[in-house]
Amino acid sequence: IEFLLCPSKFLNMSVGFIGAGQLAHALVKGFTAAGVIAAHRITTSSPDTDLPTVTGLRKMGVNFTTSNKETTHKSDVLFLAVKPHIIPFVLDEIGPDIEDRHLIVSCAAGVTISSIEKKLLQYRATPKVIRCMTNTPVVVREGATVYATGTHAEVEDGQLLEQLMASVGFCTEVEEDLIDAVTGLSGSGPAYAFTALDALADGGVKMGLPRRLAVRLGAQALLGAAKMLLDSEQHPGQLKDNVCSPGGATIHALHFLESGGFRSLLINAVEASCIRTRELQFLADQEKISPAAIKKTTLDKVMQQPGVSDTSVGTKSRVNLFNNISGVKKP
Amino acid sequence: MSVGFIGAGQLAHALVKGFAASGVIATHKITASSPQTNLPAATALRRMGVNLTTSNKEAVSRSDVLFLGVKPHIIPFVLDEIGPDIEERHLIVSCAAGVTISSIEKKLLQYHPAPKVIRCMSNTPVMVLEGATVYAVGTHTELEDTKLLEQLMTSVGYCTEVEEDLIDAVTGLSGSGPAYAFTAIDALADGGVKMGLPRRLAVRLGAQALLGAARMLLDSEQHPGQLKDNVASPGGATIHALHVMESGGFRSLLINAVEASCIRTRELQHLADQEKISPSAIKKTTLKKVLQQPGVTGAGVGVRTGISLFSSPSSKQKGN
Repeated sequence: IEFLLCPSKFLNMSVGFIGAGQLAHALVKGFTAAGVIAAHRITTSSPDTDLPTVTGLRKMGVNFTTSNKETTHKSDVLFLAVKPHIIPFVLDEIGPDIEDRHLIVSCAAGVTISSIEKKLLQYRATPKVIRCMTNTPVVVREGATVYATGTHAEVEDGQLLEQLMASVGFCTEVEEDLIDAVTGLSGSGPAYAFTALDALADGGVKMGLPRRLAVRLGAQALLGAAKMLLDSEQHPGQLKDNVCSPGGATIHALHFLESGGFRSLLINAVEASCIRTRELQFLADQEKISPAAIKKTTLDKVMQQPGVSDTSVGTKSRVNLFNNISGVKKP
Repeated sequence: MSVGFIGAGQLAHALVKGFAASGVIATHKITASSPQTNLPAATALRRMGVNLTTSNKEAVSRSDVLFLGVKPHIIPFVLDEIGPDIEERHLIVSCAAGVTISSIEKKLLQYHPAPKVIRCMSNTPVMVLEGATVYAVGTHTELEDTKLLEQLMTSVGYCTEVEEDLIDAVTGLSGSGPAYAFTAIDALADGGVKMGLPRRLAVRLGAQALLGAARMLLDSEQHPGQLKDNVASPGGATIHALHVMESGGFRSLLINAVEASCIRTRELQHLADQEKISPSAIKKTTLKKVLQQPGVTGAGVGVRTGISLFSSPSSKQKGN
């Protein structure tokens, strides 16, 4: 669904990404392809400039910086696109720079709104936070996104995010307690699909097809079937029945899938991903980052950014900086 | 150009729906025939503005491109029925799994010196313009016939020419593939519901995730394994999920499925090549309806097809 966007709203809006990895890259690619925001109004930051995605982001015309604080200053909507265990660290770093206009959107699996708000309340009376779970197909504008709004986020903040994310795929609001399950299903879902496609292609190759054709046909078959389901009111079981002619090839194949517990493996996968997400949330809630979780060189680079002081970052994140071998601290 | 379908079932329905949606041909230029007019697919075709008839011969006379959309074991029967009516202009496109070009040409050569035959394997997502179609051309087919079919099938999805001996494997992969996908989405939705999602949302998210991933792969030069790696962050949720899938032999099940479908297709081909239809494969009432069509003689249909009509309890035969 293409939303009719009010152009002036987006012309004046800037978007920032803390983190310049897979997620930032996928979202930026999608947003720019959708024309919902111009690349030069996007800033992304990472202390690590060697990431392959950084090159890709730069090529798209996005502003790249090593300073998270700079990204914060240049943004109205600020996506937190770093790994879950890095989130508290980043929040302490940019906390002092958050202003009233900022809408913080966390995409980190398992990180709760309350944990983010708790950190930001040290710096700001009413931080606007939205928690979001999306997936990489946003890069081709066929993403699946859900979001939950925080205590101080207004209805229009939710609508703003929904317009952004709807430009790159399906987007809907949910209760926060469903987000871990969504992570297990559509967050991780593309990986299940890539694995399936690799295997289907192997099957085709085994039966004589050239690899390229087998990959193409497998992907096209999955895509077509998913589209049929999305466009239809019918149950997936009914659609499956429609493809199985009596005594035919398809029902023979399905028997093999069922015999091997195919369905069960997928239920297991969704469950495992969801459970691991909850585990990560639990670890994050402990509110302590092990020094072992951050590279010393990365920490060093962050410390060298203007405005970052070791006391603000270290003490609040409780990373023991005095163990830092390089020991160089700039005010 | 007019298009005809012998058979008004799932395949005709899907193709017509797709052709109409893509605008490649108007529905009033399409004729579909079936002795049974009360099938749900037939009703839907009528509603779309397709000319529906009980006479296969009528469908033939009204078409230039004629799709054979009947079950494989019915093909020889249909060919004998319409054989006398095939003319120079006709392009016969068989979509029947496992039925070889040579078997079709062999039958039609009894009636016409140079029958133009294309064998095709498509799939039901043609109805949403995202089909996967391959085809192989027969002995007497011209380049322009090929282009015509490609134009039709490209309007409803991916289409490419292949060597005929690959078509059974394609049947196993993209022919049956949508059924694997529907099963997977049903299971993914079950997983989502188990973990607390409402059913509707779970189905939606599961289907969207598969669609998005497939689209990423089609648009990318990268290996599916590379794309999978990109989604699996260290120690994260996804790699945990992938492990349980691998532990259960997930990949192997899909290879088994493609293989099983392909092997069954070859079996069906072998049975069809026997060139004899068991009387038990056709309903007596259907046979009777066919024999009642103008131009169809019991001798023509029965003798060539090898069905012993004199065993039929209702031994009344109408001839012209």
